[in-house]
Amino acid sequence: MKHTLIAAMVGALLASGGAHAEKVKIEFWTMSMKPRFDAYFEDVVKRYEAQNPDVDVVWTDLPWDVIRSKFTAAVAAGQPPALANMNVQWAYDYAVSGAIQPIDALLGKDRGMYTAGALADVTWKGKTYAFPWYNSADIMAVNVTIFKKAGLDPNKPIRNLSEQLKMATQIRQKAGVAGLAPRLGRVESVFLGEGLPVLENGKAVFNSPKHVALLREFATAYKAGALLKDNLFAEDNFQVSIAAYNGGRLGILETTPTALTRVRDDAKDIYAVTLAQPVPPGATGVVKGGWLMDFVVPKGVDAKLLPQVGTFAKFLTNDANQLAFSKATGGTYPSVKQAALDPFFQDVPANAGAVENARAIGARNLENVRTLAILGIDDPAPLLRRLREETEAAVTGRKDPKAAMDAAVTFWNAQLKK
Amino acid sequence: MLKRILLNWTPRYTLLALVGLFTTFPFLWTLSTALGDGGNIYAFPPQMLPTEPTLAHVEEARRVIPLDRFFWNSVWISAWTVFGTLLISSLAGYALAVMKFRGSKWVFLAVLTTLILPSELNFIVNFITVTQLKLTNTHTGVVLPLLANAFGIFLLKQAFEEIPAEILDAARIDGAGEWQLFLRVALPLAMPSLAALGIFTLVATWNAYIWPAVVLQTPDEYPLAVGVLYLSGTFAAKTRVIAAGTVLTILPVLILFLLAQRYFMRGLDGAVK
Amino acid sequence: MDKNALTRDVRAYLFLAPALIVLFLFSFWPVGLGALLAFTRVDIFNLAGSQWVGLDNFRTLFDDPVFLGSIRNTLLYLLVVPLIQVAALALAVLVNTQLPAIRLFRTAFFVPVVTSVSVVGIMWGWMYNEDGMLNQVLAWLRLIDAPVGWLSDERFALFSVMFVTFWRGLGYYMVLYLAGLQAMPQEVEEAALLDGANRWQRFWRITVPMLRPTILLCTLLSTLAAMKAFEEVVVMTGGGPIGSTYTLAFYAYDMGFRAFDFSRALAASLVVSLIGFVLAWFNFRFFRPDSR
Repeated sequence: MKHTLIAAMVGALLASGGAHAEKVKIEFWTMSMKPRFDAYFEDVVKRYEAQNPDVDVVWTDLPWDVIRSKFTAAVAAGQPPALANMNVQWAYDYAVSGAIQPIDALLGKDRGMYTAGALADVTWKGKTYAFPWYNSADIMAVNVTIFKKAGLDPNKPIRNLSEQLKMATQIRQKAGVAGLAPRLGRVESVFLGEGLPVLENGKAVFNSPKHVALLREFATAYKAGALLKDNLFAEDNFQVSIAAYNGGRLGILETTPTALTRVRDDAKDIYAVTLAQPVPPGATGVVKGGWLMDFVVPKGVDAKLLPQVGTFAKFLTNDANQLAFSKATGGTYPSVKQAALDPFFQDVPANAGAVENARAIGARNLENVRTLAILGIDDPAPLLRRLREETEAAVTGRKDPKAAMDAAVTFWNAQLKK
Repeated sequence: MLKRILLNWTPRYTLLALVGLFTTFPFLWTLSTALGDGGNIYAFPPQMLPTEPTLAHVEEARRVIPLDRFFWNSVWISAWTVFGTLLISSLAGYALAVMKFRGSKWVFLAVLTTLILPSELNFIVNFITVTQLKLTNTHTGVVLPLLANAFGIFLLKQAFEEIPAEILDAARIDGAGEWQLFLRVALPLAMPSLAALGIFTLVATWNAYIWPAVVLQTPDEYPLAVGVLYLSGTFAAKTRVIAAGTVLTILPVLILFLLAQRYFMRGLDGAVK
Repeated sequence: MDKNALTRDVRAYLFLAPALIVLFLFSFWPVGLGALLAFTRVDIFNLAGSQWVGLDNFRTLFDDPVFLGSIRNTLLYLLVVPLIQVAALALAVLVNTQLPAIRLFRTAFFVPVVTSVSVVGIMWGWMYNEDGMLNQVLAWLRLIDAPVGWLSDERFALFSVMFVTFWRGLGYYMVLYLAGLQAMPQEVEEAALLDGANRWQRFWRITVPMLRPTILLCTLLSTLAAMKAFEEVVVMTGGGPIGSTYTLAFYAYDMGFRAFDFSRALAASLVVSLIGFVLAWFNFRFFRPDSR
């Protein structure tokens, strides 16, 4: 009796295998989409299979905690999926280590359907490594009461960072509160946003006159009290800056449209006087606050299958499907041009609040949204910490900005050489 | 009488309770987060007693993901791993501790070495092996590599070594073969260590999430530890529901530990008294 | 006689066979390959294409101040071993009774072993925050004037992380010691009791010597665990502040799974292993059962 039971259990254990289909199989992995977007992906798969009866599309969703381990093991074992969802940083790491392949040939003339910023995010050394997918973008919330008190016109768009800093100074002088809460804890993305490089040919270059001049502007604003001092040099000052804005202690808040719901829900009085505006573009027209998600094609995907993979990837990220996905999430943006112009983003009722307006503004700015990440450093933590410390010394006036950046660059290059 | 009991026991229980609080506070917080509603979860100091206890988050977790299915997958994978580990490790541990044979030192050294050498690559190399054995997407493929447990062999070797030689000799003189000696004498005497190994293997297997996710292709086959990660999906994370999922994952192991404690008791008790 | 020896060997290897087969496939093979690949430029996506580079990876390692710092931190980390062993043994003796509800307490002490590391990270983060529970209690007791940066001050961060390792390991080793205590023949202790030895004497003269094998096992395991500790670092400090909590294992993890530099990761791991071998050897010298 005991023996037959064990035999039966062993049999059952061995039998739990999977079935195989005869058709061309395209498997794609997404990150942390289950269970909320089950319906969306099932619909996408069904529609594609209806158009392409010879293709069997398999959707696998993986929690973000495990997707990289699984992807690494799958590629190493020669059993990769056809497409996998990555963020920009991870895609870059895999591109450098040779685990994914360039997709320029697969993009072909459809390259033009994606926004320039999104393509630039996943293009390295002249080769594009991923199909852009959903994205995010920053907008600017201004407190109209504070602006009027300071004698500023809240409806006039701000053209650049210098102008924004001058306005912040005026807000401090006339309205008595801080004007701006820049992310100086991530000064490297401030540089990138202004079109100033951080690394060039594997060397730190952020002590150029332009970088130093920018820091001097921040130092002047800091001295005038224009910047919100809470957590100014912390890695993340989002929580304190939204708290300050909600408390009427900050004139301008740069954030994502979704984050504005916290102003709406937590501080009704401030929300009533909040106006959404586009963020001032950087010197090269870059818009801050992108966080692009994309699909990569692993090394080892059957070459005969590649054209089909490309077709499916472009289907997955085309205007209609990206638009539908934005509707499903309610908080993300597409990385394709046409979808961004859809009435879903642009038709704002006359009496709409700042949140709705912000979403429309963000969508209008999508073409140049960039994911501003420092790529290509083995061990960024100590470098970024040193940069943060030197920035603090420079902006607070404890050190000359030029000397501070020179010190940081020396430290970086010594570390990067290894 | 009562006074003496109180005097005797109070210090001991106070100590036990203090240590217990020290070891359980993260779990109590997770429990309170899972059962509580309203208020700021991350408030400081953390609220240990929920103001409005509710099972809503537990129900939501059950509604959002197929918890029952994940649970049974976990039970299945863990049961096989625990059973297999106990069997394989006790056989090997017994051979190393009790039987005299050529090469025993080398075998033991090899076992010990695997405990020490770098294991970063294991999951990648093992996945390649599992692929070649055509076991991907099967629970066998998950379980098999987990049975290679040098720690278990080491633990049981120590346990068998503690068995007084006289007891084994006496059984040998009574005409017991090696197999009977192992089954009838050694195993019962090593029960506390078997129980310890069993519970450790269970905890490790139950909580493992990277390896099962690497081997299994379809989420339907995932164990609980991987499945609950879906509760923290993009745009959908609700801390209280995640906490509920965490509690539901931990609880079965704790209950089993509570119940399994009678096996920690002296192996001889059953035989002698 | 010789034939007897042969049957004896065959029988022993039959007992060992299942273990050796799975160990060979899923431990010796990957672990051995890992040790070998430490001497190559690893191509993780094409292992066979890894290029032999001799000791290059180790040279790079020993040029890296972060790596050298992590050796120091790992050696410091070993301080946790004696503390955890003494405390776990004491705890095991404490719960090795039949008091009412003792099983509930044992379960409570086992909870940290079962708690997922991410929850551990959140909770101990709160304990250690500048305005966290620990500082509040210490300030209330007037032991400190200004909050201590348990995780943000490079002088304390490593010790704070080590304490979490202590906390997580307590119940684990308690269970092993409990198993050891339960396996001890009762007669010996009863005899000592009749001889009039007090509890303290019985503990030192009977319990500890009888527990030698378990103590060997636990110290060895806990030494290896301390050498390979990294999860606590990942969830609590990520190696900071100023690299002060980089342990060797965290360094290897960080190199392998964040930077995909498996060459350096495996080389670092091999250095951990070498230290591990030395320490294991010491452990065996100290707690060898036949030295009683």
